[in-house]
Amino acid sequence: MKVTDILRLARENLRRRKGRTALTVIGVVVGTCAIVVMISLGLAMSQSIESMLASWGDLTQIQIYNYVYGSTDAPTLDDEMLASIKALEHVTAVTPYYQARNVNATIVAGKNDRYNSYFYETYGLYPDAVEALGIQLISGNYLTETTDVGKGKIPVLVGENFAYSFYDSTKDWNSSKYQVYQGQTDALGNPVDPFVNVEKDKMWIRLQTWDDDGNEKHEDYQMVVVGVMASDYAKGYFTDSGIVMRLADLKRLEQAYEKLAGKRSSGSASYMVGVNGGGMVAQQDNGYENVYVKVDSVDHVEEVEEIIQSYGYQTNSMVQTREAMQAQVAQTQFILGGLAAISLFVAALNIANTMTMAIYERTREIGVMKVLGCELGKIRTLFLVEAGGIGFLGGVIGVILSLIISFIMNNFALIAAVLGFGGAGMGDLSSIFGMYTDGSSAASVIPIWLILFALAFATLVGVLSGIMPAVRATKISALEAIRHE
Amino acid sequence: MTPVIEVTNLRKIYKVGNEKVYALNNVNLEIYPGEVCCIVGQSGSGKSTLLNQLAGLEKPTTGQVKILGKEISAMTENQLAKFRQENLGFIFQSYNLLPSMTAVENVALPLMFKGVSLQKRTQLAKAALAQMGLSRRANHKPTEMSGGQQQRVGIARAFVSHPKVVFADEPTGNLDSYTTKKVLYQMLSMAYQQGITFIMVTHEPELAACADRVITLLDGVVQSNHLLPVQEIEHNRAELFRELEETQE
Repeated sequence: MKVTDILRLARENLRRRKGRTALTVIGVVVGTCAIVVMISLGLAMSQSIESMLASWGDLTQIQIYNYVYGSTDAPTLDDEMLASIKALEHVTAVTPYYQARNVNATIVAGKNDRYNSYFYETYGLYPDAVEALGIQLISGNYLTETTDVGKGKIPVLVGENFAYSFYDSTKDWNSSKYQVYQGQTDALGNPVDPFVNVEKDKMWIRLQTWDDDGNEKHEDYQMVVVGVMASDYAKGYFTDSGIVMRLADLKRLEQAYEKLAGKRSSGSASYMVGVNGGGMVAQQDNGYENVYVKVDSVDHVEEVEEIIQSYGYQTNSMVQTREAMQAQVAQTQFILGGLAAISLFVAALNIANTMTMAIYERTREIGVMKVLGCELGKIRTLFLVEAGGIGFLGGVIGVILSLIISFIMNNFALIAAVLGFGGAGMGDLSSIFGMYTDGSSAASVIPIWLILFALAFATLVGVLSGIMPAVRATKISALEAIRHE
Repeated sequence: MTPVIEVTNLRKIYKVGNEKVYALNNVNLEIYPGEVCCIVGQSGSGKSTLLNQLAGLEKPTTGQVKILGKEISAMTENQLAKFRQENLGFIFQSYNLLPSMTAVENVALPLMFKGVSLQKRTQLAKAALAQMGLSRRANHKPTEMSGGQQQRVGIARAFVSHPKVVFADEPTGNLDSYTTKKVLYQMLSMAYQQGITFIMVTHEPELAACADRVITLLDGVVQSNHLLPVQEIEHNRAELFRELEETQE
């Protein structure tokens, strides 16, 4: 007996009992639809959580905290250590976020140094790490070791809205002319330009100190903007209003400042003094306080983080937060999927019932087939194919229905608007569908694999529910069956 | 000549409550190729049971049944299915056509189980139906046919795959006397044309009178087993089919 004959017979048998087949198929449709829609809600939920996490911070980034209070067993986090971290597998970039906190400086620009800005949002980074860390530029170029803007001048990247951080030092601080805000408009509604055009106007970093008599001493270093960073709070506030320069340049400024101020270079950023057992203990110098490590993919973050922690450093990454949230999503998905599974289970019982009924009706037919030389395996296969066919048919219709439901959920506002619905009731509904999303992303996501999975699963459920009836069919005594009136 | 069917020491015992009923008791038989064999006896004599044993539809309690030298009483269900595909045909009292299928599809069924392609088996089935004079009924369902027509479809189905042995269990039991003769005539002529061994259970003596061999059972025991003289058979057949041949001519 050929496979095509079995398929033809199965199709014929299902067609013969149209009404019952249809009812059984509807059961599978409901089950499949429930499962697909529930999973699609879960997928959409986890997608929106991923994008939410990404907006909070870079998922592939590890921060090393090395603020030492008292003493630590961790090795000094110096350039050498950073080089060995950089050499770890999966690490694509490493850089300190170095801040010269003991430097007192101001950014000055304009005629008579009229416009001032702050220096404290200034970071020294390894120039090659800036791009690798995912800091985007909206104009200009990244810094390199060889960037040269003229002797004594310092090349920098500034934040997208750095220009708005300047204030007019000739005005009182509470005057409306003291500062221009981003998005500020004049009386006619035209945008107001910031005081300084950072790409054209000359700006200086002014190191300032005062001697014992209160006389100001200062030294100016011109800074030249080679690129403007795109504002991205996930990377840091400095991408909006700060300055990034080469670590070496910042260290040079620091030395220049110390020379100016007459302080001896400590060579360290750790300046606090810890209190230990009531006594004063000199703060241990332990290298860079704040280091960022970029990993090639989210999946390797935990691995790299563990290695760094094993050196004795404290670290922070989004992985832990992400795992906790994912666990919660998984739990929700599990509950939703479980509910859906119940309806598919009921559908499976339905199929088993339908096929068992079919055996009773077709006892004689099965007997005749056996007497005429049909092998047991073929009879079993015939029943399994019929049951699987019901499952598959239900799966196909269920998937189509799910796609429609998903489309409606994702475009609910649009559809409501087109149909002219409105009012509080509809608003409530949209907020339910919007519940799992941040508004912009889809409420329901059905990827191809889910469609294929649903079809395979529905068919499998059909075949499995057909096993018992199929085995029973083969056990029918041919002799009894042909006597059966 | 080696027998087609060889039965040795066959016993079939049913348990009814605590009592044992000997449906067949120590049956020994030999049936030779091309024979038309009738099994006769009263109701409850065990003739249907014997046919079921011969056809392998039931397992004997003891003893063995050999067909074409193969011991079918020892075969598994799947081996039997294969064996039936190749060697056996069946005709039933209640026709046992599949109600959802047309005459052609019903006739083609044994060929389908054998794995013959749809085109080929439809062609063979149509030819078999034509031999039965049912060409115009080929695409009718059983419910649209008379009893005689259904039984002729059944005959076509039994002979379509050219089996070695065809079994018939009271094939005319549900038919009127005229149709009975017609059906019997067609069965016999098919068997003779193809040289097929034909084994039939019946309780109508005039049918039995046309057989080469008549086996009479009584209470599960073979009471007589004899070949009829050729002349007598011819005479009986001529007698039985006279009006039929007249109408056909």
